[in-house]
Amino acid sequence: MVSFPLTLAEPQHFSLAEKAAFAVLILASLWLFWQRFGPILKRILDSKKDADFHLFPIGKRVWDFVWEVMCQAKVIRQRPLPGLAHAFVFWGFCAFALVTLNHCAVGFGSGFLDPTSILGRFYFYFAATFAIACAIGIAGLFIRRFLVRPPWLGEKLSWESGFIALLIFLLMVTYLAAFFVTDASSAARLLWWAHTLTLLVFLPIIPHTKHLHLVLSPATIFLSRGGFSRIPPLHGDEDFGLVAGKDLTQIVSLQVYSCVECGRCSEHCPATNTGKILNPREIVLGVRAYLNEAGPKSEEPLLGKYNSQEAAFQCTTCGSCEFQCPVGIEHVPILIGLRRGAVNTGAWEDDHGGKLFLALERGSNALGMGTAERDKFIQKQGFPIFDGTQEYCLWLGCMGGYDPKGREIVADFARVMNFLGASYGVLRKEKCTGDPVRRLGNDLVFQQLAESNLETLKQNNVKRIVSICPHCVRTIQEDWKEFGTPPAIEHHSEFMARFADRLPKQNAESIVFHDPCYLGRYRNVYDQPRTVVSRAGTLVEAPRSHERSFCCGAGGGLAFLGEEKGERVSHVRAAELVATGAKTVGTACPFCNTMFRDALAQQGDAAPQLMDIAQLTARALPQRETAP
Amino acid sequence: MSGIWVVLEERGGRMSRISWEAVAAAHQLASQANLPVSALLPGANTESLAAEVATKALAKVVRVEHAMLSPYTSDGFTIALHQFFEKEKPDYVVFPHTYQVRDYAPALAARLGQTLIGDVIAIEQGPAFTRQLMQGRLSGSYRHNGSGTCFVSVQSGAFRADTVAAGSASVETFTPNLDASQIRTKPGEPFRGSAQTVDLGSAQFIVSVGRGIKEAENMPLVQELAGALGAELAASRPICDAGWLPIERQVGSSGQTVAPRLYLAVGISGAIQHLVGMKGSQCVVAINKDPEAPIFEVADYGIVGDLFEVVPALTEALKAAKQ
Amino acid sequence: MKIIVAIKQVPERDAQVHIDSPKKWIEEGDLQWGLNESDAYALEEALQLKEKHGGEVVVLSAGPERIGSTIREALAKGADRAIHVDSDELGARDALGVARLLAAAIKPENPDLVLTGLQSDDLGYGQTGVILAELLSLPHASLILHVEKTDSGLNVKRELEEGWFQNIELPTPAVLTIQSGGSKLRYATLMGIKKAKTKEMKHISAAELGVDAKANVALDQISLPHKQKTTQILPGNAKEAAAALVEKLKFEVRVL
Repeated sequence: MVSFPLTLAEPQHFSLAEKAAFAVLILASLWLFWQRFGPILKRILDSKKDADFHLFPIGKRVWDFVWEVMCQAKVIRQRPLPGLAHAFVFWGFCAFALVTLNHCAVGFGSGFLDPTSILGRFYFYFAATFAIACAIGIAGLFIRRFLVRPPWLGEKLSWESGFIALLIFLLMVTYLAAFFVTDASSAARLLWWAHTLTLLVFLPIIPHTKHLHLVLSPATIFLSRGGFSRIPPLHGDEDFGLVAGKDLTQIVSLQVYSCVECGRCSEHCPATNTGKILNPREIVLGVRAYLNEAGPKSEEPLLGKYNSQEAAFQCTTCGSCEFQCPVGIEHVPILIGLRRGAVNTGAWEDDHGGKLFLALERGSNALGMGTAERDKFIQKQGFPIFDGTQEYCLWLGCMGGYDPKGREIVADFARVMNFLGASYGVLRKEKCTGDPVRRLGNDLVFQQLAESNLETLKQNNVKRIVSICPHCVRTIQEDWKEFGTPPAIEHHSEFMARFADRLPKQNAESIVFHDPCYLGRYRNVYDQPRTVVSRAGTLVEAPRSHERSFCCGAGGGLAFLGEEKGERVSHVRAAELVATGAKTVGTACPFCNTMFRDALAQQGDAAPQLMDIAQLTARALPQRETAP
Repeated sequence: MSGIWVVLEERGGRMSRISWEAVAAAHQLASQANLPVSALLPGANTESLAAEVATKALAKVVRVEHAMLSPYTSDGFTIALHQFFEKEKPDYVVFPHTYQVRDYAPALAARLGQTLIGDVIAIEQGPAFTRQLMQGRLSGSYRHNGSGTCFVSVQSGAFRADTVAAGSASVETFTPNLDASQIRTKPGEPFRGSAQTVDLGSAQFIVSVGRGIKEAENMPLVQELAGALGAELAASRPICDAGWLPIERQVGSSGQTVAPRLYLAVGISGAIQHLVGMKGSQCVVAINKDPEAPIFEVADYGIVGDLFEVVPALTEALKAAKQ
Repeated sequence: MKIIVAIKQVPERDAQVHIDSPKKWIEEGDLQWGLNESDAYALEEALQLKEKHGGEVVVLSAGPERIGSTIREALAKGADRAIHVDSDELGARDALGVARLLAAAIKPENPDLVLTGLQSDDLGYGQTGVILAELLSLPHASLILHVEKTDSGLNVKRELEEGWFQNIELPTPAVLTIQSGGSKLRYATLMGIKKAKTKEMKHISAAELGVDAKANVALDQISLPHKQKTTQILPGNAKEAAAALVEKLKFEVRVL
């Protein structure tokens, strides 16, 4: 009978036949595991090596590993309750490591953790608390999947998930139950075998299901590309991007095999949420299916049977998918890789896309306008020309240089700079930074633009740049690195926030701030624009804000492509912003501004006004500030 | 050498206005060069046309008459005129700069070892012929070297057709030697672009309407304007979004890109997405009640006013002008 | 089909024009160069014909060393090989002189079809193709939007004034001048540029071709046009402004 304190029962005296059977079962289980896992591992290792992968600096990798894997930070943070439940299951697995080893050792008569010793008792109690948490956790997750049925887990019920949940539950229960029986009882033996069989059935199932992530995802997270949405450079004369299986690299293969199909990527995807074909999870699983069927050496096109070209070009590169992923899949480089494969080989035929590429092949800006227009604007505004003596180069960009609204934002920011006494100048010649063609996968045009611009910056001795456009900031700072050393660049929100106490304090209206994708998720800048907004009025948060901010729909070159299918992303987000009841929508990106303008106008006269943070600040400045 | 010869071109059974402009140019040249001006009328069955031409101040009208000169072919015209010029040895030959002339005049000049000075917009002392370079951003002054005929074609509208005085000219006929085997191209019947599908991309005149029109009920206003101008109707995005015009008529970054000779923007503010679709237009006219509207930045002509007043007035003025 | 496409490198579309001191041409120092617009359409038409009927597309261009980049661009878009007629003094020739040079380079090739753009973005004579036809004694058609191969030669769609079109049948070999806008241009791809590196580019000097450079017509001087493009706001009430606009349309814009 049970005696206190509770002690874990360890059956003794397994017969030779039992030990032999146990050995055979272990071998069989391991063999079945390897039979499935081996080929997967081979496919990953057979994939092309990542030319630009650097293990060092290792500090960040270790930190990410500790934070995301051990502490389950992303898992919990993005979906708290299920995340916590999963964390318990994971920690349970970790805590059980020794238990499992000991359990097997017991089967051969050499258990090394004495359940009556202090150490043994402590450890087994320790494991027991985790077992309880794990059991509750897995039960909760089971209920969520099969009874609550959230939409992003998909329409179809996954019986495989249910079975795994059952196995895990059994593992915990058989362990806990063993505290309530004695060593010598047949119940103990039964429990031991039950636990063993559950374990040995579980093991080979791992590589056959999404539970492969148990093995792979710690490696996946550790072996990340080393930065958010990091697009690898093309390598060699035959590399055009992800055209076929032979272009898939080890990192990509490792990542797609780690997918747990949780659907968090799709949950926040602007395309998926507005009825487009694109679904980030399906992209990942499509590549995985390709690897399973065609393999990493195949010449069969990646865009075809498993993923459609149409879907690949619906991505705004907002990064929500990659940001959310708890197992370290980097979706954006995969999508851009697929686009590269289509564009660099000329396989992508799109009227608007072609026009954009031709405009940048022959001209200087993405809008196809003549440079005389930009010159006229500079003259009219009286912007000083950058001559190497000023502290900042004010980068106009395509929107700031040619778009009427973008120009207003730049003009107002210039007023703010004048007011703050900052010295700046604009370049005589600027070419598009190449952001839209970079995200669409046209490496030829991008290289031409980057190299030309870097040369211009060098000739003009530019050391610091400030820009009103997060896309320009990102492209100049990160993407141009492939072709040279870009000067330091910051976004105008970062600039203005430094002088927050000098910006006029207004007792004005409620302002809902929309985090631009390329400022928030891409650059981790959330507070600075809010500081500026708070000086101009009362800050209101949108339901989805900060790293959860919902894209305006312009990114990924989509602002230059044709009509969207389904609902318009910008309209969905605009409705959300309007619903906050704020009087003003505050933006920090000229593209967001442009996308919302039409959408808000549809709302009629009651629509909130739309202003960039530069405009919100400049409106309170005394008079028309001209350059000193 | 036999003076200045103007090669006339008929259009739809009448003398085209640009032909008269070529005559006006020839007269201007004549006052400098002190030479007689005569007209050439290549074609078939051109008696009545010749009679009309003969009522102008010309020394002679010569019908270069042959059945194989109708319909026009480059071979036919080149051979026929070559024979005539070999005989007459003109000092100058003036053409109207039409699509047809562009198709044969350079070959004709080359056959005579000369080079055409095409698309002339002014004739200065010299004579020096002015033509546009770099899509109108520069003017160039050209001179003809040496002996031999100087071939020139003049741009539509550069010379005033109404300055040609009346007169009385003799009419002669010249019959070239033409054989069917010499005509190597077979031209088909002219046809209009497909009427069903909207092809804004090749439209020469476009009237485009924006949010300023306010309601669907007001659309007939611009439809009438378009009709009066012989223009295609187009719109900025919000109009098509609202369903007042089909999506094929949308001009802009997510719609059509157009490059007409005349683009009339009615009640359009000029957001960049719209501008990129029409900035290739040769002439932009904007009608908007907001003097600060960005559309005025790209317009050649602008009317700041209420479109509900301006558009009907413009429609009427256009109808009157076309009479 | 062996198709020769004669292309020209011109200053890029929105180049700033500064007249040089002798006032004979523009300052070329700061200029960026690119493929002439209608030539791009000619090239596209040639490439589409090759894709449909097989054969070879050869690009031909005359000019100084710098035109090499534009020739390579054409090779990147899909042309098979190129001929560069080296000449530093193309500006001294008139349209007939340039056409003579090109014709001398074309003759030994014996092409089935010669395509040129309708006119160049800088000088805009629009004559080279037509003169080529005369010099090569080939039939031609101009302002062509679309080319189709038939059993007896070609069927082409020609643009006429005021929104009219015409189909023309002609035998090959022939010369066609191609109007802009007939097809969708293909964009240059990375793959195209890499392939272009291995394609043949033959150099012939103008002297080798031994062609008469005498010019019948000379460009004496260039100047800025009197009218600058500014927005004319037409004043007055609706009726007055409308009337003023109609006047402008008639006599300044010349579209009525």
